[in-house]
Amino acid sequence: MSKVFVGMSGGVDSSVSAALLVEQGYDVTGVYMKNWSRDLPGMKCPWAEDLADAKRVAVKLGIPFEVWDFEDAYREKVVEYMLSEFKKGNTPNPDIICNQEIKFKLFYEKAMERGADFIATGHYARTGSLSQLGALQSVAVRALAPAARGDGSDNETVLCRALDENKDQTYFLYRISNEALAHTLFPIGGMLKPDVKKLAQKKGLHNAYKKESMGVCFVGEVGMKDFLKEYIDIQPGEIREIETEKNLGYHEGTIFYTIGQRHGLYISGNKGETNDGLPYYVVKKDLQNNIVYVSKNLNDSRIWTKKLQLKDVILRQDLPLDSIRLRHRAPLIPATFDGKTLHFETEIKRPASGQSAVFYSQKICLGGGIIAE
Amino acid sequence: MIYLDHAAATPVNPKVLKAMEPYFSHDFFNPSAAYLPAKKVASDYEAAKATIAHAIGAKASDLIITAGATEANNLALTNMANVLYLETEHDSVRNVATRYGGEPIEVLKNGVIDLRDLKSKITDNIELVSVSLVNNELGTIQPLTEISELIREIKLDRLRRGIKQKLLLHSDASQALNLLDINVARLGVDLLTLNAAKIYGPKGVGALYVSHDVKLLPLTYGGGQEKGLRSGTENVPGVIGFAKAVELAKEHLNGNRKKYATWRKHLLSELQGYELVNKKHSLDNFIVLCYNGIDAERLVFLLEEKQIYVSTGAACAASKGQKSHVLSAIGLTDEQIAGSLRLTFGETNDENQIHEAAKIINAVVASEKERLKDV
Repeated sequence: MSKVFVGMSGGVDSSVSAALLVEQGYDVTGVYMKNWSRDLPGMKCPWAEDLADAKRVAVKLGIPFEVWDFEDAYREKVVEYMLSEFKKGNTPNPDIICNQEIKFKLFYEKAMERGADFIATGHYARTGSLSQLGALQSVAVRALAPAARGDGSDNETVLCRALDENKDQTYFLYRISNEALAHTLFPIGGMLKPDVKKLAQKKGLHNAYKKESMGVCFVGEVGMKDFLKEYIDIQPGEIREIETEKNLGYHEGTIFYTIGQRHGLYISGNKGETNDGLPYYVVKKDLQNNIVYVSKNLNDSRIWTKKLQLKDVILRQDLPLDSIRLRHRAPLIPATFDGKTLHFETEIKRPASGQSAVFYSQKICLGGGIIAE
Repeated sequence: MIYLDHAAATPVNPKVLKAMEPYFSHDFFNPSAAYLPAKKVASDYEAAKATIAHAIGAKASDLIITAGATEANNLALTNMANVLYLETEHDSVRNVATRYGGEPIEVLKNGVIDLRDLKSKITDNIELVSVSLVNNELGTIQPLTEISELIREIKLDRLRRGIKQKLLLHSDASQALNLLDINVARLGVDLLTLNAAKIYGPKGVGALYVSHDVKLLPLTYGGGQEKGLRSGTENVPGVIGFAKAVELAKEHLNGNRKKYATWRKHLLSELQGYELVNKKHSLDNFIVLCYNGIDAERLVFLLEEKQIYVSTGAACAASKGQKSHVLSAIGLTDEQIAGSLRLTFGETNDENQIHEAAKIINAVVASEKERLKDV
């Protein structure tokens, strides 16, 4: 019987994943990864509740359950990275780093030390083998049984988008190692989210109705600003119109703004001027002088681009790139890559530096890189 | 459903609910208002306070109504310089005391206060000693009379030596009002915390008994209600309900004690493979069991599926992810703490449920042992 350690977060996806593994006859151990437990002012970290939810499911499935503490590593590898990127004016994606450094590294390594054949997570993604490429690239991709996966040599395994294109999470997984991927099961990668929910209900997993956690795992989307305020000394500064250098108002801190953003600008119309009601967009951040520049010109060249320079590029397979994705769940757009820079046929709205561009060859995730300034 | 977690919460008694109802609608007036219907509400409120106060041998004017026991404990301990608190106290005492530089007093292996440790720690600058009447995790009853006797001697000694520092005794009696006959004079306390939610009254209502010669500082400022110590429009329905709950508790005190003692005996004889943690000095409705080598949290979830609701020895482990400081204090190992289950009876139970619960708990423990054998 193959031994699997499954990461359980208390959410419906990892709960159903664990249930499926049990059903498929694996020797399953549920693991809660304790990555963060600190409460922030006005925000209670839900880790203990999540842990209890995960444990309840494990007990229901009759499998052993453990808590693995990665708090120090998470702080060092994910949080420190995130803070330093924000300080540089970038908008990092901590979930991608968490997968690379924690879930598919430390968790994977510890599981292997404990005699695992596989690890498993509740991500919407699939794996396949290069030798099956023909089948993979066909329109109707089937869920791939791990047994059908080549000889297990690391470079054989490819990362593929989930059956549920709407939920696909390969954007967050593009940096994980081939070695870990070759030993990873994604039990729900071949399922549609509504079916996962239905299965959870059918199996009586209590959290079938639980609200999904979105955004950064430990603060949520809303909490990021408060989180940054706790850790970074943020100075208020001027908002200026780029064309005129005129002061339009004040901002709470440059790092909260991204190029192209139009919300959250507290601009007051100057006395005597008529406000034409057109929105302003962030077009430039001057970190040194702590000034956010805005413009009413949505066609400003700083907002649009036909190319993006990437850094820290990871290429998983040498296959022809046909499309890329600039955000989780964003549409796939055609592009070419020359080893350093992505080129687009038409102008795209410039994504925030620090975010990732992820490459695809049809269903296969080829890797990607981090968007440089 | 078999609910065995009455130390965590109790349902509001129907009679209590009925008594409260008019004060949500018909008698909604602000007790501070000038017209007659409001005056009537004010007098009902005072009467209810008197009922609660009399139940502990105090006067209505000695009671400060609060929004629960946590707030009462905060009111008692805030601003006290040099506090000694029993190490097994609830967080609402510990976390306030430690904020103001409090020191813990140790307990013996049976959970009872180590009087010698207390004696050695009451130096001349100690202002307040806080010892709960009944511990919330173990049900351990503390010898308050002995403690107050000791404190009285120390006070006398301080006076003899011309030391002006006051010395107060506070006790959290949240868990006790149901099953113990409480009298502030007999206990010798200066401050006593009460809680409606543990005695089939409404949640969010508590009280602090403050002896007339104790001066406290308010935590809440405003219109000066509750002698200026707890401003805010009076929670009239809550206090009416609290009073009714106190009345009922007094009425059934002896009958309940006998009933729970019998159930405890039955349950302990029918359950298998456990070690009893709270052997002595405990309220009759508290049973803390230890199943060695078993993860009690798993038992909680397994029992939950059978609609039996219990808590782990570390009542808050699931919500806080910490091991119980109470069980560590009485010398349990980490493994024993992990295997500890707390069962607390109450008015929702009957004799049949006790037998049924014993059967199901035995079966669930056996299934966990079976699972562990295969691993």
